[in-house]
Amino acid sequence: MIGLISYALGVAVAAPRTGGLVSAGLLLVLSLAGAVGMILLLPGGRDTPLRKIGGAVLLALLLVLAALLGKTAAGVGFYFWIFSAIALVGAVRVITHTKPVYSALYFVLTVMASAGLFVLMWAEFMAAALVLIYAGAILVTYVFVIMLASEAHEGGAGGTGAETDLDHDAVSREPILASAAGFALLGVLLFVIFDKPSFSRAADSMSARSASAKVAPDISPANQPVMQGGTQQLGAYLFDHQVINLELAGLILTIAMVGAIVIARRGVWRSGEALREMGETLVAPATPIDDNPHSIPVVGTDNPRQKAYPET
Amino acid sequence: MPRKSMSELALQHYLAVGAIMFVIGLIGFMTRRNLIIIFLCTELMFQGVAINLIAFGRYWGNLHGQAFVIFVLVIAAAEASLALGLVVLLFRQKSTLDANVWRELRG
Repeated sequence: MIGLISYALGVAVAAPRTGGLVSAGLLLVLSLAGAVGMILLLPGGRDTPLRKIGGAVLLALLLVLAALLGKTAAGVGFYFWIFSAIALVGAVRVITHTKPVYSALYFVLTVMASAGLFVLMWAEFMAAALVLIYAGAILVTYVFVIMLASEAHEGGAGGTGAETDLDHDAVSREPILASAAGFALLGVLLFVIFDKPSFSRAADSMSARSASAKVAPDISPANQPVMQGGTQQLGAYLFDHQVINLELAGLILTIAMVGAIVIARRGVWRSGEALREMGETLVAPATPIDDNPHSIPVVGTDNPRQKAYPET
Repeated sequence: MPRKSMSELALQHYLAVGAIMFVIGLIGFMTRRNLIIIFLCTELMFQGVAINLIAFGRYWGNLHGQAFVIFVLVIAAAEASLALGLVVLLFRQKSTLDANVWRELRG
């Protein structure tokens, strides 16, 4: 491990500047340190000081990355840093907290911060939809299921099991492998995003992009200069160009609703004769047998077909 | 209100945030053992992708990114309802949320 880090440091020092925002060697070092921090931070049944160290490492890395990007701050404002910091810290807490309800609540925090980022990108409708659908609907469902499926703590010595975490929440599975794979992917992704020379060169001269945009103009109506609110534009775009997709989305939601009801129903699968057997016993006293209103039995008779009143 | 298009540098910043969020969700998906948290981590990955899509839509000045995010939200809602139904079903059978209990599904 030490050898690897020193090698990475050597690469970082010797790496030629390729014109990107962050050099490849630096990204390698950052990813390695991030993986180590994440391994320490993930719940592994260990004591808390190590996890605190891991959290501090990750926070420091986030600050380093922000400083590296912030020295060329152009086009992003103060609120971008605030919102993205909240979103990322919340996301890390989602996957490292040992209590599921807290994870869900931290996810709400992440969703709110992402909505803030969407507002910064002029996507007001999407921000509102994110808050309504994610924080309002999906997360409430998650919290419901967490409450519904709350497990009985298996006794334990103390008996006050409410404060101890369950084993499968407190011990994560393969933290080293997962962190290595995840941060390798992150390093490659950030390398592709930042280390593209054309990106930064074009960013130096802002007019270059607008010139190239003039060469190949997008003539779709959505690309016309925005005059009204973004929501109005989005609605017009959706119903002009994406009608079939909208209908398909509605269909998918309907099918998902039906499927969820079928899946979560209790006692769906029974054979035919079992159902017929149950029919004799499970009919409630006041259940009508057929469409004849006189077949509605009177309370007090055992046999629902026996009428307790005289025929008229 | 006049809307300037986004510079490439700002696009890179937003893409970086989306990538980091996606990877955090991925790590959580691989490491957590609670079934509900596993599905919560997929939602986290959806968030990262949505940030990417909206940043690209803003960068090119069109609405394709936002429209795509709407459909991503639809799929996320459908996936959440179905997945939570499945989780409730699985919980009824073994009365635990541990994913390792269902190890035999590995084959």
